[in-house]
Amino acid sequence: MAFISKDDSNKSGNAETNVIIIGFGNKYRSDDGIGIRVIEELGKLNLLKDKNIEVIDGGTSGTDLIFLIKDCSKIVIVDAIDAGQKTGDVVSIKVNDIEEFIKKDYRSLSLHDLNLADIFKLAKALKMIADISIIGVKPKNIGFGDKLSPEIEKKIPEIISLIKKEIGI
Amino acid sequence: MADNLNIEVAPLPRVEGHGDLVLNVKNKKIEKLIFRIPESPRFFEAMLVGRKYDEPSHITSRICGICSVAHTCASIKATEKALDIKPSEQTIKLRKLIYHHENVQSNVLHVYFLAAPDFFGVGSVIPLVETHPEVVNIALRTKKMANDMVRTIGGRAVHPIRTVVGGFTKLPNEEEMIKMKEMLKACYSDLEKSLEVLKTLDIPDFERETEYISLSDPVDYALYDGNIKSSDGWEINDQDYRDKINEKIVQYSTAKHCWASRDAFMVGALSRFNNNYGKLTDNAKKYAEELGLQAPCYNTFMNNIAQFVEIVHSVDDSIRLIDEILENGLDEGKAMVDIKPKAGRGVGVVEAPRGLLIHDYTYNDKGRVEKANLIIPTGMNYANMEEDMNALVPTIINKSEDEIKLACEMLIRAYDPCISCSTHFLNVKLVNK
Repeated sequence: MAFISKDDSNKSGNAETNVIIIGFGNKYRSDDGIGIRVIEELGKLNLLKDKNIEVIDGGTSGTDLIFLIKDCSKIVIVDAIDAGQKTGDVVSIKVNDIEEFIKKDYRSLSLHDLNLADIFKLAKALKMIADISIIGVKPKNIGFGDKLSPEIEKKIPEIISLIKKEIGI
Repeated sequence: MADNLNIEVAPLPRVEGHGDLVLNVKNKKIEKLIFRIPESPRFFEAMLVGRKYDEPSHITSRICGICSVAHTCASIKATEKALDIKPSEQTIKLRKLIYHHENVQSNVLHVYFLAAPDFFGVGSVIPLVETHPEVVNIALRTKKMANDMVRTIGGRAVHPIRTVVGGFTKLPNEEEMIKMKEMLKACYSDLEKSLEVLKTLDIPDFERETEYISLSDPVDYALYDGNIKSSDGWEINDQDYRDKINEKIVQYSTAKHCWASRDAFMVGALSRFNNNYGKLTDNAKKYAEELGLQAPCYNTFMNNIAQFVEIVHSVDDSIRLIDEILENGLDEGKAMVDIKPKAGRGVGVVEAPRGLLIHDYTYNDKGRVEKANLIIPTGMNYANMEEDMNALVPTIINKSEDEIKLACEMLIRAYDPCISCSTHFLNVKLVNK
């Protein structure tokens, strides 16, 4: 059983399974915490139990994603992201060869050290290959605060549906 | 170069967080020089009020993905002091062990990924993969080792979950301790290779003596605990930090500026090195010597080298700590101590990778926070950064605008500033008037 409870350890940056769902963000920067909130909600559901899938609270440490790209075949990233969509809109970006993400220079709003595009550029330069999907919502407010904006919070079921579709459950 | 300059870098690239640099020069004289920080931890101070004693360490751990163990430990220490909780020796040793590896995680990230591109003349870590692949691979291996150490002890590679007020909710087992020791031993060859690469770096020749403040301990190279010590000759108990460390509001920044004996002081790896050189392992001293780093060192750019020397020290000292823990045997009975809420004030001071980090909490008799004050290391360094740039710019005033701008950026980056919040879009603006 590879499901990791949010209450204890997780394998951030140290994959033991092939499929990983990772949320990024700072849950005390309002909507920037959407990735973490989705991970917390997934932790409450039973749908991933007994499946070979890890759910990871990645916080704001983006560099460690490189280790997951190295070790996993499939990664689903959940994050506050601006891909040119309207505020509150959810996007699902397939990044099979990561070229498009780099080309369009989509911005994660969360990561503290290196941006997602930087991580993908680094992975590409290091010739690491993984099937990566990014599910993101454009935040309304990323000021200090421990609550999501209502219009962002109501997107959680839609994001979880997209995750389920992405991993085929 | 022009006699007049107006440089604005906003936000500054490759620093952790969000900061602006403003430099105006007229007739080759500095008219205005400001490093402006719009972030501050005041939100977190307010957020802690009313929280039960077991919550602040988890909340403050989220201030920063790079310094999460430091905030966790500063918070735990403040709470334990306030509630008169005495953790076991085993707990202290495990905290020192996890602490070493956040320092390694952070120092690796800064030395190799954020600062090295300056010295190799490339814009970021990405081109380094082509020009210096061995540097990138060493950095990734060492970061992975440190991540594995933090995860094994704290349950997560960032935002540790098992490190709590009173001790640990779960202990690593003997097998994991032995595995950690093997990982540590395996990284020495990479440290040797890094030494050879770092020897080739052309560190700018710039010196300005200032007041260096750090923790200090009679035995340890203090990271987790100690008195607060100044190179100006004073040393105080950490609970009395207000006797020496003062804060003031400056108009152009929401973050406060700090001063102690003089108008400015420096915290971070170079201050620790200057104040505690004698407590480094012999191996770390050997690395320092080979890299031309001697205490006291007044060149801020050498902070990067001091960070690397600390990685060596942390690997050496971790092996010693693991041997001691294994020799005594891991005891579940010493994992946690009893906690009884009571009123009181406690101060937790640690050395975050970027320097002194202070959490100061006042609890009521129900064990809930009534007041919190957090002082972050980058906040302590702001005034010194400005004084450094005021000293540096006249020495390079005849260089091109781009060179001046890069030198100022490198100087700020040398402090490894962390403005305690997520970074957002990066723009660089250079305006000539």
